[in-house]
Amino acid sequence: MSDTEDTPSFDPVTVFESTEQDLRSGSDDCYKCSTCDSVCPVASVDSSFPGPKFQGPEQWRLTRKEDTEIDDSIMGCSNCMRCDGACPSSVPLSQMHNTARGAYVENQRFVRSALAALRSGELRRGASIVRDGVSDLRERIRNRLLANYYTAGRFASKLPRVANAFTNFGPTRWLLERVLGITSERSFPSFATQTFREWWTERGGAQLENPDKRVAYFHGCYANYNTPAVGKAMVRVFESFGYEVLVPQQRCSGTPMFANGRLDDAKRHAETNVESLAEAIADGADVIASCTSCSMALRQEYPELFDLDGIDSVGENTYEALEYLRLNEDLEAALAETAGDAEEFAYHAPCHARNQGLDRQAVELFSDVDGVTIEDVGDSCSGISGTYGWKAEKYDYSMAIGDTMFAEMEAAAGEQGMTECPTCAMQMSHGTGYSITHPLELLADILIEEQSASSNG
Amino acid sequence: MDTKTEVLVIGGGSTGCGIARDLAMRGVAVTLVERGTLTDGTTGRMHGLLHSGGRYAVSDRESAAECISENRILREIASHCVEPTGGLFVSKPGDSEEYFERKLAGCSACDIPTELLSAEQARAIEPYLAHDIERAIRVPDAAIDPFRLCVANAAAAREHGARIETHAEVTDLLLDGDRVVGVEITHSNDNGMTGSTERIKATHVVNATGAWAGQIGAMAGVDIAVRPSKGAMTVMNCRQVDTVINRCRPKGDADIIVPHETACILGTTDVEVDDPDAFPETQWEVETMIETLSELVPILDEARTLRSFWGVRPLYEPPETKTSDPTDITRQFFLLDHADRDGLAGMTSIVGGKLTTYRLMAERISDHVCDRIGVDGVCRTADVALPGSENPMHLQEAMESFELRSPIARRSVQRLGSRSSSVLSTSDPNPVICSCEAVTRAELEDAITEVGTDLNAVRIRTRASMGNCQGCFCAHRMAALLHPDHTVETVRTSLEALYEERWRGQRHALWGEQLSQAMLTRYLHATTMNRAQSQTESSPTVAFERFDGGDERGD
Repeated sequence: MSDTEDTPSFDPVTVFESTEQDLRSGSDDCYKCSTCDSVCPVASVDSSFPGPKFQGPEQWRLTRKEDTEIDDSIMGCSNCMRCDGACPSSVPLSQMHNTARGAYVENQRFVRSALAALRSGELRRGASIVRDGVSDLRERIRNRLLANYYTAGRFASKLPRVANAFTNFGPTRWLLERVLGITSERSFPSFATQTFREWWTERGGAQLENPDKRVAYFHGCYANYNTPAVGKAMVRVFESFGYEVLVPQQRCSGTPMFANGRLDDAKRHAETNVESLAEAIADGADVIASCTSCSMALRQEYPELFDLDGIDSVGENTYEALEYLRLNEDLEAALAETAGDAEEFAYHAPCHARNQGLDRQAVELFSDVDGVTIEDVGDSCSGISGTYGWKAEKYDYSMAIGDTMFAEMEAAAGEQGMTECPTCAMQMSHGTGYSITHPLELLADILIEEQSASSNG
Repeated sequence: MDTKTEVLVIGGGSTGCGIARDLAMRGVAVTLVERGTLTDGTTGRMHGLLHSGGRYAVSDRESAAECISENRILREIASHCVEPTGGLFVSKPGDSEEYFERKLAGCSACDIPTELLSAEQARAIEPYLAHDIERAIRVPDAAIDPFRLCVANAAAAREHGARIETHAEVTDLLLDGDRVVGVEITHSNDNGMTGSTERIKATHVVNATGAWAGQIGAMAGVDIAVRPSKGAMTVMNCRQVDTVINRCRPKGDADIIVPHETACILGTTDVEVDDPDAFPETQWEVETMIETLSELVPILDEARTLRSFWGVRPLYEPPETKTSDPTDITRQFFLLDHADRDGLAGMTSIVGGKLTTYRLMAERISDHVCDRIGVDGVCRTADVALPGSENPMHLQEAMESFELRSPIARRSVQRLGSRSSSVLSTSDPNPVICSCEAVTRAELEDAITEVGTDLNAVRIRTRASMGNCQGCFCAHRMAALLHPDHTVETVRTSLEALYEERWRGQRHALWGEQLSQAMLTRYLHATTMNRAQSQTESSPTVAFERFDGGDERGD
């Protein structure tokens, strides 16, 4: 996390009225050592991408207050945030990237500046602004669409079967690639016929009340619209440990929005999330996420990028589900008497899990369980990074980054994969054909006996 | 070797280069000699402030009026050297209100436009100003790059036929009775003349050596009582302010912050020294500056410092004045006609003054010299743009034409001005060599073509190695560009000189982040270039070529 938070005199909130970030200390902390560049998965496959050092501290230092042009290459960053973990000097690289990307996308809004140029009689400049703006338009629309998966998911879930048929219908995909630049190489994830929230309402919400052990579940978009089984597993596991589960009002965590420079969208969603999660925290709950990118957003990006009442408290009280149980329950003891179903998993730790120090938790937890074999496939990035691998012009890079992981998965004994991140799961499945399980699903399978009874829900 | 010229100018600082340009534009044959690289003396060791005159508006209105008039001229003729930052005079609780009012009145009397700002207005412009500031006066101060300015003057002089000879130290004045008739110089450059001496006969000699003027005078037995005064300046890693910030109080150490390119420069102190080439550079000066200026801009206290450097003001006053405190010595310049003053014909000295008025000083000297040598020439230096400032290039156009990333195109064009096209248009790949300051290979190669193997001269033209790593990642890349045109030996020597210069300033910033940077530099260079020990101590027989082909095992 950035140093800026520890230093009262650097507090961006009291200085700037807007959300403008001050990143002076980030620039001061960079020694140019290039360790960040050496771990950047995009830079390793895309020679046109200058790497995190340039995108962050270098570009920041070279840009004057009145300058608006951020280099185009900022949109090449996949926001995997591995640079954050690599930096030996705590440079807030992803914060710098997010801020620069936000400024870049803001600057793509060309209508107002074009009009201003025309009004002041600068016809040529106005025309050139319009020309550049229009040529960016397709990318902007595509990115905004991908960034707002929450909205797409909401509509698709109204008629999930139609949506599933339509989104993976050949001509639709051809058009999406041609018109919007969304790759047709991948299959769209299918929408569940019943969302997690619908299931939650149907079952009548929490099955137990416990003011001493209360968690607020941030399911995010994917567990709600696409993989409610993960959310249900989370609920069953936590209830088996005696937790009262709350499912507060929520929108997108913002992860795909940060990655596409849509800070304004992300802030709108954050306002809802912070308000309802802060309320749950006030009621004695901790916040739990089953998606490691969601927990990353709430913990790190929120306080770095936005100034909202309660945002720091949300960051400080958010945990990944497995992490929370390992901290607060004796999971080893609970698993000691159990046995798995002779299953072998190739486990991939998502980059965002790695940044939260969670990259070993699943392996450590399950390797002692009888009948379960779990093998870490190494520390490479899966390459999809949320929306990155969905962009037609990034697809090949995404697959090139994923090659290491695919090979390691093939080499591992298991014929199925495991990961916490929904888009890493897409990539793992896309590259190997394996089915992918979330650790919570396995945990629920092992811990809870009446599988057949509850899995129908 | 004997050569001839009409006017010989000693000193490659802003004054000397300004005089060379002025005289050359009047059609006079000029030779300028400089013992080091251009700007090596005081010019390259100042805070880069283009005065509005506000600073002198209370104590010295004549200087103030000269400053504002020259300020306006330089914005026109040297636009690629000037960043119009504006400036603020800021008062804190306890600072004299009466002085504040006198400052306003003085500015108005000298035709310096001002704007009175409340604390809130000032903080809206510069958010990092301390919360307790009381009010501020806005003036048209600006930032100026003294290197670029000086080099542009020299380039203009050369375009008009002048000879500019750097690494040429004056070792004697040639006298004919009571007349100076030329100089003897010793070359130390790399063009094959190293160690050789040259006698240059001249109709008139101009001593523009500033703080070193006394040493030249002594060669002809005349006494020029320059009172050199050192001032410390500290370079911050990034810009805490984008406006020149002055403390609004009568005088004192540590009262100015100048945004300069990617950095901010804190200044300064004022202590008289005996020898402009050897004086103590003391830690208290740096500490005082950071501490005192933190009262105005608190984040300076915890911000990264890159280096500190000291300049020597060429202060002068007529010997009978006997001012005791150097801060009270006038900042005016003096033209010393040695024929009138000492009965020594053929030489004029210029002392005192400041960078902002360099052009005016040059004009006065040139008028005087032309009068002495009987040349009718009119000064045109205020009307003709310097090379680089003729047609500023549009940024968008530059980004498109040179295929550079936006901050790199922007910085390159800001440095090169109207020379951008000719320097950056290349069909070869043009990688960034210095990533801290965004300097590409094409720009460095252009500078090398201009100055040869002196990498410090390349540095001041391009800013390469002046960023936060202080040459850790680019000094050797810069040196590599000298090969194969120059021998490995020359490349090594040049690299060594650049490193030494970079370390010299960093020694005064070895704490916090810059200490970590220095350690990283040290270890990287030790492990990759065997720089952990002195090159002369290491075995001269290490067979580096063994590692090239890989067909032989090591020693």
